[in-house]
Amino acid sequence: MDCEDVRLQLHEYQRGQLGPELHREVRAHLERCPACAHEDAAEHALTEVLERKLPQHPASLALKRRLAARWPAASPAPRVWWSGWRRALVPALAAAVVLAVGLPLWRALAPGGREGAAGMVAEAINDHVRLLQRDRPLDVESGGIHQVRPWFAGRLDFAPVVAFEGDAEFPLQGGAVGYFLDRKAAVFVYKRRLHPVSLLVFRADGLPWPERGLTPVGAVAGYATVARGFNVILWRAGDLGYALVSDVDAQELARLAAKLARD
Amino acid sequence: MRSRDTGDAGAVLGREALAYVDTLHNLARYLTGNETDAEDLVQETYARALKAADQFTPGTNLKAWLFRILRNSFLSSYRRQRASPLVGGLDTVDPANQGVADEAWLRDDVELDRLRKLVAAEIEAALMTLSEEARTVILLDLEGLTETEVAEVVGCAVGTVKSRLARARSALRLRLKDYAR
Repeated sequence: MDCEDVRLQLHEYQRGQLGPELHREVRAHLERCPACAHEDAAEHALTEVLERKLPQHPASLALKRRLAARWPAASPAPRVWWSGWRRALVPALAAAVVLAVGLPLWRALAPGGREGAAGMVAEAINDHVRLLQRDRPLDVESGGIHQVRPWFAGRLDFAPVVAFEGDAEFPLQGGAVGYFLDRKAAVFVYKRRLHPVSLLVFRADGLPWPERGLTPVGAVAGYATVARGFNVILWRAGDLGYALVSDVDAQELARLAAKLARD
Repeated sequence: MRSRDTGDAGAVLGREALAYVDTLHNLARYLTGNETDAEDLVQETYARALKAADQFTPGTNLKAWLFRILRNSFLSSYRRQRASPLVGGLDTVDPANQGVADEAWLRDDVELDRLRKLVAAEIEAALMTLSEEARTVILLDLEGLTETEVAEVVGCAVGTVKSRLARARSALRLRLKDYAR
């Protein structure tokens, strides 16, 4: 493998996307070739600068509303509600409040409830979004897993078991305390390039864990799905439950889940 | 007016497609160079996606599919127009302006530090000087698309994505040199 070959592979090498043999070859070349090692450092610096500083231009709220209004509804139900709003406004609002507050929790917590898994998925996504909307998403910035994990001591009624300390592909950003339905959760935030990935860890007891449609997640069986544009993977290990949420590609999220649930 | 079938397919595609509006708008903003055109492009993208919803295969990558529609919309809508002076052309990266001088740039820690000290506006300005294709592959790569997905979006062979991305990043590094003084 010459310098030209190595430089063409550098980007994937830094992403950890090369096969083991090719990865070893590139690493060996970098150790003995100062010019390519400089190139490696320069590419790494460029990626870092782009990920941290390149301005992002999200859509305006006005555009989002315009698009949402034009998109076809998934069911005719909302149209029926709106057409009769004058007559049904007060009872409908009252019912909506009751349902909005009570139903998600009831569905999620009802043992064997049909909507149980969907409720857990929705809660995981809501927690992820809430965290990102906070002014300071992280309560503790990462100095490594051995700094983040002890930070939870005294803040939770359980000890979150997370062995994966992050790597070049999924660096650990930090942690925060959150809630998952009726209980506290430890939130570990990893990153995949520009995309934050939330790992919620919480007590697993009393939740309606899905029992069908499971796929292997590391050493355990998990439930992977997509909702509202987010990929979500749920699994449990011993007394603890785990929910991994992000808008990264499903395969990438599965790769992180496998690293988290490998033991 | 859309047909019942198209409407049903759009509903099946669901609001999941709308979850990508921020990332689509970001690419649109970097392609068009201004907010008004970016919004128009995103709206055109969703209109086309809705019209072609029955052609989307559930289980495949919705984000890549939307990116492809957005880029094709951009090319068909803007290629006929005169390129804005603020935006790099549609041609591929000029080979005369890359590669050779790159070797002499970022060769030591001092220059790497200068790169890291660039401010956001400088990085954005440098990116905007690149060709449309170069900007696209750099941004899609940052978005986390795989080489296969990028190839699908830009309409080239998977094997050429790697070299196009390498050329684009090399060109960007060269442009950033002008700001890192």
